[in-house]
Amino acid sequence: MQKNIRLIISFIVILVFIPLSLYAGITIFADRKYYFVSIVIMILACVPFFLSFERRKPQPREILVIAVMSAISVAGRALFVVTPGFKPVAAITAITGFSLGAEAGFLTGAISALVSNMFFGQGPWTPFQMFMWGMIGFIAGLLGKTRLMHKKIPLILFGIFAGIFFSFGMDVWGTISMYGVFSWKAYALALTSAVPFMIIYCISNVIFLLLLAKPISEKLDRIKNKYGILQ
Amino acid sequence: MKAFETFHPIVLFSFFVATIGLSMIFMHPVYLTITIFSAISLNIALRRQLFFKDWKLYVPLFFLMAIINPMISHNGQLVLLYVNGNAITVEAILYGIAIATMIVAIMLWFSCYNVMMTSDKFIYLFGKVSPALSLTLSISLRLVPRFKHQLTQIVQAQKVIGMDFTTGSLWHRIKCTVRILSILITWALDNAIDTADSMKARGYGVKKRTAFSIFIFERRDGFVLAMIILLFFSNLVASFIGTTTYYFYPTFGAVKWDMTSILFYISYVILLSIPLVFEIWGALKWRSLKSTM
Amino acid sequence: MAIVKIDNVSFTYPNEAIPILKNINLTIQQGEFIVLIGQSGCGKSTLLRHFKRELRPHGTVTGNIFYKDYDLEKLNAEVAATDIGYVFQNPDNQIVTDKVWHELAFGLESLGVDSPIIRRKVAEMANFFGIEKWFHQKTTELSGGQKQLLNLASIMVMQPKLLLLDEPTSQLDPIAALEFIQTLHRLNKELGITIILIEHRLEEVLPLADRVLIMDEGSILFDGPPKEILNSLPADHAMITALPAATKIFHLLNGIGPIPLTIREGQRWLSNQPYNCSSLHTPHTTTQNKSDVVLEAKDIAFRYEKKGRDIVHHFNLQVKGQEFLTIIGGNGTGKSTVLSILSGLQKPYHGKIFLFSKALKSYSSKQLYQQYLTILPQNPKSLFVQKTVLLELNDMAQLHKVTEAKIQETVQLFNLTHLLNRHPYDLSGGEQQKLALAKLLLIEPKILLLDEPTKGLDAHSKEGLAEILKDLQTKGTTIIMVTHDIEFSAQYSDRCALFFDGSIVSEDEPRAFYSGNNFYTTAAHRISRDILSNAITCEDVVTLCKKTFV
Repeated sequence: MQKNIRLIISFIVILVFIPLSLYAGITIFADRKYYFVSIVIMILACVPFFLSFERRKPQPREILVIAVMSAISVAGRALFVVTPGFKPVAAITAITGFSLGAEAGFLTGAISALVSNMFFGQGPWTPFQMFMWGMIGFIAGLLGKTRLMHKKIPLILFGIFAGIFFSFGMDVWGTISMYGVFSWKAYALALTSAVPFMIIYCISNVIFLLLLAKPISEKLDRIKNKYGILQ
Repeated sequence: MKAFETFHPIVLFSFFVATIGLSMIFMHPVYLTITIFSAISLNIALRRQLFFKDWKLYVPLFFLMAIINPMISHNGQLVLLYVNGNAITVEAILYGIAIATMIVAIMLWFSCYNVMMTSDKFIYLFGKVSPALSLTLSISLRLVPRFKHQLTQIVQAQKVIGMDFTTGSLWHRIKCTVRILSILITWALDNAIDTADSMKARGYGVKKRTAFSIFIFERRDGFVLAMIILLFFSNLVASFIGTTTYYFYPTFGAVKWDMTSILFYISYVILLSIPLVFEIWGALKWRSLKSTM
Repeated sequence: MAIVKIDNVSFTYPNEAIPILKNINLTIQQGEFIVLIGQSGCGKSTLLRHFKRELRPHGTVTGNIFYKDYDLEKLNAEVAATDIGYVFQNPDNQIVTDKVWHELAFGLESLGVDSPIIRRKVAEMANFFGIEKWFHQKTTELSGGQKQLLNLASIMVMQPKLLLLDEPTSQLDPIAALEFIQTLHRLNKELGITIILIEHRLEEVLPLADRVLIMDEGSILFDGPPKEILNSLPADHAMITALPAATKIFHLLNGIGPIPLTIREGQRWLSNQPYNCSSLHTPHTTTQNKSDVVLEAKDIAFRYEKKGRDIVHHFNLQVKGQEFLTIIGGNGTGKSTVLSILSGLQKPYHGKIFLFSKALKSYSSKQLYQQYLTILPQNPKSLFVQKTVLLELNDMAQLHKVTEAKIQETVQLFNLTHLLNRHPYDLSGGEQQKLALAKLLLIEPKILLLDEPTKGLDAHSKEGLAEILKDLQTKGTTIIMVTHDIEFSAQYSDRCALFFDGSIVSEDEPRAFYSGNNFYTTAAHRISRDILSNAITCEDVVTLCKKTFV
């Protein structure tokens, strides 16, 4: 029950609070401080998740699964020199979300981004990446509850969705950082130029989800059964 | 010699938040000039070799951004020429340059941040606000190199049994990659159980955690921190009374050179050059120490 | 004063019929140094975990455990966490954070101790353990031995009264292991900390123990001082092979009187015996050319980075068909690198390797790994992909089109029948090793390379491994093994080579090799070298002595 309330609160924050502050930011900072506002919003958006994780005093095993999955998405990059454009982050985050719920999904995505940038260098893009990957994990967590994600078609659809979602999100950032302002024209331009990347994201997500979803959730289940409760 | 780096993480972090935050807001030519030159000087002081390498990236980026804006935005009164019926204006070109300056300056500030705010400093600060997450982060940071090492072992073992992920068709490579990842995940999750046990065995969850660190907050830290906060607020005041406001459209506003404005400009200069001053001071001190030895 | 009292404790794992601990009764006095031994699966780890409340396994337990007269179950959580410390087998797994200083502070942080106090305690411990030099390092940069010392230190900062250790040195090289054991000895002697230690390295550990517990099938078979072990152990008990060389020789020669445990005691005892056979030589086992050279390395030089230092240089080696060669040498000197060069996984920047007189480079990797050679990685888990042992073998069979009959044959050979439906990760270390070997040997390679295969194995599993290797050898396989395990190398290999500073500095058949070394040699040789010139195993000593004693 308590868990549901937390979920609802997170939902309200994402769907109401963020657009609201976005609107406020644009109207109050009327002279186009998009660059600043967008980063602040992304940081703010991550706060409720972090807070609720902190509040409920997570168990060591939960902390570890999140840490392990994030570290794997970062370390796993080394494997992808031969398959250009492929990145396992979204798929691993999503699978963690399916098995362990929305919150763990968000945290895995966000921490993957943060840790990854600790190795490759932080930049103004860090909060965006954290939020985008976090949201992929979050949505996966919500869908995981429906038990739909054991089937192939929903997995494929989710993979495509995650690819498009990530592309659209990061292109907002791309537009702002290239033009300093957000204009739909520039956004459309950025989106069209990013189409090939988006396709690769989608394809790689679909492949990884199809191939990894079952084995990873089996492994997570094994750990759950062998060593007692995980969640 | 890295002098500013030795300050307490909270000082470093406050400096970068203030600097990067203000640099993102101020689109005033004087302010932009100050931030880009401070960022360049600090880069030269801290990461000379790397900085000269980075230039190859920043210069084209700068010009690209400066060019794109006039193509998209056709505001402004000083029209240079028309392309396909759209006006290319001086305002738009200069606005593009301003944006490009800001973004490159922020990138440069971030590269200094990456040199000074090492991960342990960040984790320490983060731990003060969010202990559980900062611990998760610390564990994850430790696991990445460990997993990389394990990956090379798995890759070799799999190569011997014919699952070489670097050769063969794309599909074969993907299959091998997934297989290797899968082995890594099983291994990692299994080992994580031990780590969780080790945390429990050492009393994790018994009481509210404290955050220990080897960082010591000295008097000089307090002094510099106070200075940063003071200067930050003086710049906010400047923003509030409009000193930092500058319009490119419909046409350029005027840059003020009255006494108040100059004082505010100076306060920005002082804030942004804090690390550089310490770097230079530290280097000079070392030289004199060495010569007297 | 009794620090722990175990009162009639039995324990059964979920879904198991037979209890793993059967009516255990035990009292442990403050300040005792106790060594707990037994074959794998006897329940010793399960017992040890029962002393630490936070680590109690899931399952049904009966009986009571008392810590200083308090019921362990009801002990205050803070006391339970601080007073009883636990060191695990794998040095890497128990490290939580990324910095040495942070790891040391972890326990005290969890207990909400204030920074100034943590600072003092951490400083004290870093000092005691000699950690100052690497205090600021990242934990991933440490060596295995340093990691395990760090683990011990980060428990010691919490000032435990009772220290539990589950095979803490099994993943360490001999020198690091010795250092670790000596540190434990210091903690016991200088600080009076009660220690219960599960350990395979009895050679080093038994002489330090006040008391030895031998477990067998869930019960305590022996409980007493180490000097009395032989009196109460059945003469053919499996644990006999694990005893120190001096004790084993004493036992096999039916010695009477106080039992020797250390090398020195062994020498003294042996010299007082009526065996005076300094003149007797065991005949050198003739190393005839069994067959041609199958693998040859000529002037190999290798480095990982262009500007790095040579890990291997002036390296020359010839391996003959059907030979069992062991390469021994210090830790981190590049022995494993040698194996990956020989197997073609790493390419030398200078020199050539010949496989069956043809350059290694001329083989395609498919040819090479499907027909000629295979390498057993140090960590067998790098090979496991599937959910069960059977699927694991089938997986390999599918990749290489191996017949069902061959799988059956391999299962028989490796004695895996009773394990087929288990998850590979649930097997013991020895069983995992066997499974990995079985998997690789499905394709019947001509040359088998092994990287530290005896690491972490108990005496019994080592014997099992040796049997398999010998069997393979008679069937025609050439075996090259890199190891720290001098005893294993002396007992089973045909030829030994010492790897030092990038190349092979000496090589010979084991008897000549080990009796020629002063320091790098077996315990049996050190015990007997004053009276026997070239006995290198306990069996050698016994045969020789029996020959003279008519």
